[in-house]
Amino acid sequence: MRAVSDEILLSVDKPARYVGGEVNMVKKDVSNIDIRFAFCFPDVYEVGMSHLGLQILYYFLNRRDDTYCERAFAPWIDMEEKMRKNNIALFSLESQEPLKNFDFVGFTLQYELCYTNILNMLDLSDIHIYSKDRTEDEPIIICGGSCAYNAEPIADFVDIVYLGEGEVLYDDILDIYKEYKKAGKSKEEFFVRLLDFDGIYIPKFYDVEYNTDGTIMSITPNHPKAKNVIKKVIVNDMDSVFYPQKQLVPLIEVVHDRVTIELFRGCTRGCRFCQAGFIYRPVREKNYKTLLSQAKELLNTSGHEEISLISLATSDYTCFKELAEGLIDEYKDKKVSISLPSLRIDNFSLDLMQKIQEVRKSSLTFAAEAGTQRLRDVINKNITDNDILSGCKLAFDGGWTKVKMYFMLGLPTETYEDLEGIADLCDRIVEKYFELPKENRPKPVTVNASASCFVPKPFTPFQWDKQDSYDSFTKKGLFVKDSIKRKQVRFTFHNTMMSSLEGVMARGDRKLSKVIYNAWFSGCRFDSWTELFKFDKWKMAFENAGISMEFYANRERSYSEILPWEHISVGVSKEFFIEEREKAHKAATTPNCRQKCSNCGAKCFGGGICYDKR
Amino acid sequence: MTNDNIRYRFKFEKYGNAKFIGHLDVMRAFQRAFKRADINISYSNGFNPHQLVSFALPLSLGYTSTGEYGDFQLYTEENADELIKDINSSLPEGLKITRIVKLREGVKNTMSSVCAASYNIYFDKTVSSYDIENNIYDFFGKDDIFVDKKTKNSLKRTDIKLDIINIEYTGERVLKTLVNAGSVRNLKPDLIAEAFMDFLDIDYNKYSFGFRRNDMYMKDNNGGLVSLIDGVGE
Repeated sequence: MRAVSDEILLSVDKPARYVGGEVNMVKKDVSNIDIRFAFCFPDVYEVGMSHLGLQILYYFLNRRDDTYCERAFAPWIDMEEKMRKNNIALFSLESQEPLKNFDFVGFTLQYELCYTNILNMLDLSDIHIYSKDRTEDEPIIICGGSCAYNAEPIADFVDIVYLGEGEVLYDDILDIYKEYKKAGKSKEEFFVRLLDFDGIYIPKFYDVEYNTDGTIMSITPNHPKAKNVIKKVIVNDMDSVFYPQKQLVPLIEVVHDRVTIELFRGCTRGCRFCQAGFIYRPVREKNYKTLLSQAKELLNTSGHEEISLISLATSDYTCFKELAEGLIDEYKDKKVSISLPSLRIDNFSLDLMQKIQEVRKSSLTFAAEAGTQRLRDVINKNITDNDILSGCKLAFDGGWTKVKMYFMLGLPTETYEDLEGIADLCDRIVEKYFELPKENRPKPVTVNASASCFVPKPFTPFQWDKQDSYDSFTKKGLFVKDSIKRKQVRFTFHNTMMSSLEGVMARGDRKLSKVIYNAWFSGCRFDSWTELFKFDKWKMAFENAGISMEFYANRERSYSEILPWEHISVGVSKEFFIEEREKAHKAATTPNCRQKCSNCGAKCFGGGICYDKR
Repeated sequence: MTNDNIRYRFKFEKYGNAKFIGHLDVMRAFQRAFKRADINISYSNGFNPHQLVSFALPLSLGYTSTGEYGDFQLYTEENADELIKDINSSLPEGLKITRIVKLREGVKNTMSSVCAASYNIYFDKTVSSYDIENNIYDFFGKDDIFVDKKTKNSLKRTDIKLDIINIEYTGERVLKTLVNAGSVRNLKPDLIAEAFMDFLDIDYNKYSFGFRRNDMYMKDNNGGLVSLIDGVGE
């Protein structure tokens, strides 16, 4: 049975988003199930289906006979309209049943601009939006993912925030839930029981009080069992940790149609702007033999023709050579292409790229992030102009003519000299191409440079810094554009207002729940989609809640201020972040974890690179 | 095409949830199923090798079918029944191969052979069986049937009568049509439904109508129509 009639499905864009039936979809008889879990991705199907975390947790939860994990995505606006008009409640793709019938509705928080979609999905499910309003019969709302480390802006809407890697605690959570449900215990009793664990943050057991200037006066547990500081949970042994042998293979084209293997978690680099580089510490690698066997299994069961090696800095993987060569040997005759996102330019291997190109042409991307060495030292992005230019030269020699460059605008301490540096570096890349003899330049060169707007994030050394205003971002973006001399360089920059809103949400506190509610109520959805982003409505939402965006985005905090995520720990200490910030302002760099331990604090998890011999 | 490649024609059905995926997605679904089934499929040479598979004629989104066709090439000769079994166990629900025939040398591919197709039109409840039965032959008996055919950026007044080979009312609000199909002349049956509803002066909602392609045909040596998979084997 489908939840939606053919007539409605045929009248919306991409109806396959709503019918399920993908290859490797898990089917279970719901009458034999104790726990029903709806895994929700608060964005459109094609985005959510490309997310590795979904693929892992889907099969991880479904490996339990007593649990059925199903999926739901944010319906696109055309479908939402039909659903509201015809009183169709949001449903899961597998059983096509309303989310309201589930025990758990879980949201993964991958970016801040998805929050209105969460409210919308709850509302479409006919589930109360505010946690305090929900009854015993309604599902428990749980969330996880990178934004969960500061989930304060949505703390009023969710019941449980999961801090860390899903494989660690979900079995315990579900076992306890099942036991408590059978014994007829209340949600409250279940929540209290969960307070025994690290990695579980239940917002309602904490009270937040504010000073008159809007800053936080205190964050206090209001239950005797609630911990003062909640520490994330992580997997230490990456080789024995569950990894799916299958992947859901969508019937329509999604953002990433490919097999994904995960080389390691964490990152050694410590780029100071990068939240992922701190919240996922320490680095924990998988053995390359494990990876080769996982790759084989997944390619066989999916039928995909592309495999992607993912991690935060692929070429930092210690057995990268063995892995890459193993994959090339195995698959070069089988028409499988290998994609290597986040390959770093400083140990870029031309030889490897050449080998991959034999199978299928891939694109070349360099994340320089800043235009000058000084600013790259500030952010601890340890590459030099020379690394970039010699990398490009190698690439041009190897026949590449398209280069993508990533930069950021508005980094701390940035001056106009740094912005000119972006233009200058791009121009010099073009010039590098023209140093080749004419006969070796069959095609015109293009450099596609794009700049994002710097958003200071929690759990980074820049968590106290102010963000540029959107006007300033625009001014800087246009300045770079004007400074570029070469016509072969194309420069674009990210939506500045979106970046501002992201900046507010990233470091927001609980007062923002009202703003998010207002924005959703006035029609905001899919805020990360340029064509649907309604900044005017957001501004109204702030105004109506009596809240200033500048307070959150454009204000520098003092080290003594209580930050909204003060009660959360990712293992990296506040002292380390302060040291790093002080070094940043002196443009002093910090060696990566492989070179030298800088005692960030992540050693407390008892595993990973922290215990490797150097 | 090289001599070492062995060509097969397959006939398949499309039903259930698969009707919500378009032509390119159907092609991708087959390509992945071939890989999962570990079929020894041939690849093109060149910079971007791709599977040597082709399909007869795209089916509109929302249509079901009992008569879809494609051709593929293998590096080795395989038993047709085994192929059907292996591929079907790898296909997603709603796509099912019903027949595979090893092609005789020199047979043109489905894409260039197809010239006609049969469709069922399932009327919605805004129109009664009585109305259809009493009007359909008057409608089809007209000298011309003009409709506004949508092209990329304009509406074009077109006489669809020229492309209708036959119409037959089979009762139960099901109209069976035989129309020109292929790259030369092609008519989609929803234009017939639209024109007939206009003839009846009833509002037409194409989303509440059902369409099924029954089969596709090519011309035989005598100019008659035969199913794309008949008489092509060794």
